[in-house]
Amino acid sequence: MKLDKQTFKLDRATGIGYFAIFAGIIGVAVCIFGFKKFHAQFFYAYLTSYIFWVTIGLGGLFFTLLHHLVDATWSVVLRRMTESVMAALPIMLVFFIPVCLGMDELYHWSHAEAVAHDELLQHKSAWLNPKLFSIRTLIYFVIWFIFGHFLYKISIKQDSEGDPEQKLKEKMRQISGPGMLLFALSITFAAFDWLMSLDPHWYSTIFGVYIFAGSLLSILSFITLLVVFLHKNNILNEEISIEHFHDLGKLIFAFTVFWTYIAFSQYFLIWYGNIPEETVWYLHRWDGNWYKVSLFIVFGHFVIPFLVLLSRVPKRNITMMTVMSIWMLVIHWVDLYWIILPNFNHHFHFSLIESVLNIATFLAVGGLFFAYFWFTFISQSIIPINDPKLKDSIKFVNS
Amino acid sequence: MSTDNGNSKIESNSVGCTPLITGNPTFSSITGRISEIVELEVKKTPKAWFIAFGITSTMTMAMSAMIGWLLWEGTGIWGLQNPAGWGWAIVNFVFWVGIGHAGTLISAILFLFRQKWRTSINRFAEAMTIFAVICAGMFPGIHVGRAWVAYWMFPLPNQMSMWPNFRSPLLWDVFAVSTYFTVSCLFWYVGLIPDLATLRDRATNKIRKIVYGIFALGWRGGNRQWQHYEKAYLILAGIATPLVLSVHTVVSFDFAVGVVPGWHTTIFPPYFVAGAIFSGFAMVMTLAVIARKIYSLEDFITLNHLECMNKIMLVTGTMVGYAYACEFFIAWYGGNVYEQSIFINRAKGPYSWAYWTMVTCNVIVPQLFWFRKFRRNIPWMFVASILINIGMWFERFVITVTSLSQDFLPSSWDYYVPTVFDIGIFIGSFGLFLTLFLLFLRFLPMIAIAEVKGVIPQADPHHYEHHDDEKH
Repeated sequence: MKLDKQTFKLDRATGIGYFAIFAGIIGVAVCIFGFKKFHAQFFYAYLTSYIFWVTIGLGGLFFTLLHHLVDATWSVVLRRMTESVMAALPIMLVFFIPVCLGMDELYHWSHAEAVAHDELLQHKSAWLNPKLFSIRTLIYFVIWFIFGHFLYKISIKQDSEGDPEQKLKEKMRQISGPGMLLFALSITFAAFDWLMSLDPHWYSTIFGVYIFAGSLLSILSFITLLVVFLHKNNILNEEISIEHFHDLGKLIFAFTVFWTYIAFSQYFLIWYGNIPEETVWYLHRWDGNWYKVSLFIVFGHFVIPFLVLLSRVPKRNITMMTVMSIWMLVIHWVDLYWIILPNFNHHFHFSLIESVLNIATFLAVGGLFFAYFWFTFISQSIIPINDPKLKDSIKFVNS
Repeated sequence: MSTDNGNSKIESNSVGCTPLITGNPTFSSITGRISEIVELEVKKTPKAWFIAFGITSTMTMAMSAMIGWLLWEGTGIWGLQNPAGWGWAIVNFVFWVGIGHAGTLISAILFLFRQKWRTSINRFAEAMTIFAVICAGMFPGIHVGRAWVAYWMFPLPNQMSMWPNFRSPLLWDVFAVSTYFTVSCLFWYVGLIPDLATLRDRATNKIRKIVYGIFALGWRGGNRQWQHYEKAYLILAGIATPLVLSVHTVVSFDFAVGVVPGWHTTIFPPYFVAGAIFSGFAMVMTLAVIARKIYSLEDFITLNHLECMNKIMLVTGTMVGYAYACEFFIAWYGGNVYEQSIFINRAKGPYSWAYWTMVTCNVIVPQLFWFRKFRRNIPWMFVASILINIGMWFERFVITVTSLSQDFLPSSWDYYVPTVFDIGIFIGSFGLFLTLFLLFLRFLPMIAIAEVKGVIPQADPHHYEHHDDEKH
């Protein structure tokens, strides 16, 4: 893998993409087997992997929108990466098909006979029914596609045509305004639909913000790892400096606290209110061995990253940042697993099949999503070479 | 750097930044311009100041008289009745605490986010924080009924072994607000030290020299002092940042931990924080527009500063709108009939006028800030900032009163009406707030002199080198 210093495009970098496709295909093969043999188990594993990758994609969209809205300087060198993640989002619509196929297994409210015996589900059926569920998902993806597509297209245009009068930059800012509004609504309702409705009786107004917080943390970690990988190959070593790692570290730290704040707000108010219809959700996550996972999340998603990333040194240490980014991605997955699986595996017993399915679905969705992202990424300059603030971004120093 | 060698395609294209402070100031002109407001002779104080001070101090005195009557007669003089045991006093408490949040956000969070434009407004926004918290703290104090034993709110060891309820969010409020007040005062004071030393050094009479000298803590502006100062400032910013979130989170707990419909919902903490910042910025805007006009500070608080503040109002206002929408949706989705009836009642019931005032002022009005034209229109932003504060006051009114006045037992429902004492004490609290603010404008530098100097181009150590480069 080599960087063309003229165009800032990656040469001979397709290998990673093909490797990801290969991993994806192996995953798909195991998935097909799992789908036939362990129907329900497969779908729960699949949903977890799917949400994991889609939240990374959404994080990419959010980061790009935010970058334009606040007219950030430091993150210009990272912009093309988040843009490429965002541009890979539409493929997740294809991967949503298995979720639709598994609706029967995943979503209790999709059973007509269940609804017939449950007054609450009858009340909710105006919202929670398979048809509207699919239409809404389609709408979410249309929103993400439109904004992702236009932002990416203009950004590429800026590369080829230059942007001396900053018209393209201004245009991206203008798109980002309504983009942010619709992003907030769509990720909220996607979280309600895809995850909260797994337990159709339960509700929490903050749930969308909770998923958003995890999504943002995962993209920050993903980008950090991507930069580490590029640096290992001697790419962009001068353009992306330790200062950028420092800022990424600060954001990961800040949003670890934000995630905790949101998670705590939800937990605490439900615990204190002590209304059975709300507490039942946490009760399920304390049943059997689930309490171990719950405690693991408290420590893994807050205590450890908080203590590790608090001081300046680890944020300016590539090894520490690598370890913490991997850790944050792992814990993000555990967090989603903890949201999704208690609806199926009620007491959290270890099962080999489930673990294999988790890995297989992770590879299937992740491998193909990553490959799509990677080929998008290497098809263009890997930094926005004509961004008016590029030079400032490269030179930027934390005071 | 690879980008600097000739064969790289990246070319220098640094954006022509508009200066934060206009009017091409020098270090000494900044010092002079801001200090002279404080150093004016009594006779030369602007007439408008005296008129304003006369009005606000009268309001404060009137409020004091009403509070005196309240203490004598009891909280029965307020419009509180069953089932609405919380009325304007709590609404005003939440309102004033919220106002304070902008100051802390500007001084702490914007500092951590490297937003240099904050230097022009942080001083008086922080001052506003402190005064707003004073007003806020007053209301629970007088609401307890027997204000002379208000200190029982603190967990003080006593011979009766009587303790406040540690499981009550009202006690957490005592801790949260007093911590907030302490840290805000410290932060504000640490920021003031170099400026107080400037005023001391410029003082032409003895009293001024002594008074400012005492408060300047022997500041000499040496290199070591500046290093310590910057470190202390950063640490205080770090400590104040979680406070921006925690104080209003605890305030939201006052409502949300209860199982009262309309109060018990998990989005309350971040929703309250966003609302607090929203209303705080509106208040900063109202005062900034007036102060910059009267003291001709247009070069320091430029249109760009005001535009940035309008953007923050747009963001936080939209967040508040998002929370309203989420609450409404989940009230329906959750399927709880009590929750549903409260929300329908808010929109259609006896308080619908208050509800729609709130929605209009908080959600619709700030949306106009999407347009640059409105963001840079001073009369409009002034009006909008006042509307937003009206809306934010009504938000707290809607939350408190609608949920209480129609409780689980329809036979006890009643329509809450404030008395003249509710209204009078609230208006009086504005008097107190503005009196303190006017005193601040008169006796302390309303703009952080040392910090503003740091953001002008000359402050860049390489400024003169570049200047030379261009000449060659």
